[in-house]
Amino acid sequence: MILLWGIAQEYPLAAVREALLRLGAKVAFLDQRAVLETEITLSFAETIGGKLRVGADELALEDVRAVYLRPNEWRSLPAVKQAGEGSPKWNHALGVEDAMVSWADTTSALVVNRPHLMAANASKPFQAMQISAHGFSIPDTLLTTDSEAALEFWARHGQIIYKSISGARSIVARLTEEHRERLADLSWCPTQFQEYVPGRDYRVHVVGDEIFPCEIISVADDYRYAATKGIDTQMRACRLPDDCAARCISLTSALQLSFAGIDLRLRPDGRWYCFEVNTTPGFTYFQEVTGQRIDESVARLLISADA
Amino acid sequence: MLVVYASRHDATAQALVARWAEHDAALLTAADLSVAGWRYHLDSPDDSTAIVSGRRVEARRISGVLIRWPFVHERELSHIIPEDRAYVASEMFAFLLGWLTQLKCPVLNRPTPTNLLGPSWRHEQWIHTAAKLGIRVRPARRHVRMHAPHTPDEQSQMSSASQTTVIVVGDESFGANNPLLDAYARRLARAAGVGLLAVYFDGDGADAALTGANLWPELVDDEVIDAVLAHLLRPSHAESSGGR
Repeated sequence: MILLWGIAQEYPLAAVREALLRLGAKVAFLDQRAVLETEITLSFAETIGGKLRVGADELALEDVRAVYLRPNEWRSLPAVKQAGEGSPKWNHALGVEDAMVSWADTTSALVVNRPHLMAANASKPFQAMQISAHGFSIPDTLLTTDSEAALEFWARHGQIIYKSISGARSIVARLTEEHRERLADLSWCPTQFQEYVPGRDYRVHVVGDEIFPCEIISVADDYRYAATKGIDTQMRACRLPDDCAARCISLTSALQLSFAGIDLRLRPDGRWYCFEVNTTPGFTYFQEVTGQRIDESVARLLISADA
Repeated sequence: MLVVYASRHDATAQALVARWAEHDAALLTAADLSVAGWRYHLDSPDDSTAIVSGRRVEARRISGVLIRWPFVHERELSHIIPEDRAYVASEMFAFLLGWLTQLKCPVLNRPTPTNLLGPSWRHEQWIHTAAKLGIRVRPARRHVRMHAPHTPDEQSQMSSASQTTVIVVGDESFGANNPLLDAYARRLARAAGVGLLAVYFDGDGADAALTGANLWPELVDDEVIDAVLAHLLRPSHAESSGGR
């Protein structure tokens, strides 16, 4: 049995679910929107057992061989948000989330991806250390609360960008003269600066040992938000040099991920930079443009564990 | 210099800093991350500069770090406007995770992406790991249902079921009358990759069952505190536990 967990209408989850059904897999779906009707019983010792019940439907967790997780922030679920912090509904939703994460982090089933491993990209410097250890270049990076340090770094590199350290408000922007007078505000909170790396962007999805590279042609500092600035972005499926492709697969494997979205940039001098490994890739945006069947690849990976 | 990262309300942390004054111990709190002077270069972390208790400190002068707070809490950020506190807390957590991970000195415990105290295992995960290591356990059960009767939280379940608490510090352990429980506690700490861990058993005999574990042990016993200090003062290449 393959278990999916998240919001039914969310594009990547819906795409994988449809691919699984096309391939004839047995699928159980835990819809987060039904959190208030969800009941979980867990039992942990040397073995792990439990039951998941939503209304009249019941699933023995021992029967689950593969899981694809894309839970949304539980506090944002309409019924929970409306009930408010500390309400019985809020506490119940927290209990469901916590029990599911505990089970998903521990079960012997294939989990795409385990929650504690998905957390690695919540700290970009932490993940950058892992990326660097696996053969990719990373931009020169300074994290600071000191405006003088930022100015020195800016002067050294000529062009620098700033972006969040965590996964929150994660938009990349170039530092410009307009920012100069605001640099004193750095003292409130550490801020991350990086040398600007010129070149062409690539998004590479890795599913097990399959790879789906996509070339992105855009002049925006952050192509994901190019449209909001009226900047045109083109994307197309491509091939990566063999050594770069192998590094993407080995990096994903080293991070113990089964599925990842890797952000690369190829500098004009031929060096490959890696900015981030997304541990919950929203792949449908790229799949729609490139025609790469990433959903079917994820489905096949899940089915292989359920065989 | 020794650094204790803790909440500003942590009286135990303040007592430890006072006790370790001769080792130039100082408290690092979230407020220090809102002071100009931090410089963390990803490719040369030894050249970093930190702010600890308001003092500017070169990272290479820090000889050990004790972590006593799992994250950066919004409540510690009263100097930040309310609408930005959640964002600033997540930025500070992400910053500390990277910086603490790169420190070469002993760090109890090394942080993980989900918890600055170490691996963010839930009660069930400690029980399951212990059972797989061949340790007798009291099975963990959880039932989540709307309108279900209130069940005590796992900490109070552990406390009410516990008769023996073993605290592991590096390769040493304290609190057990039975060497088997010492060995079990150290085995679990090694499996978790941590150097500081409280492990609970429901008795003190060889047949006692493990009831839980906690990355945040109460540090009040002189012998345990001295062991923590000795661990933090070890040369960094001797950090056999709690490192990665």
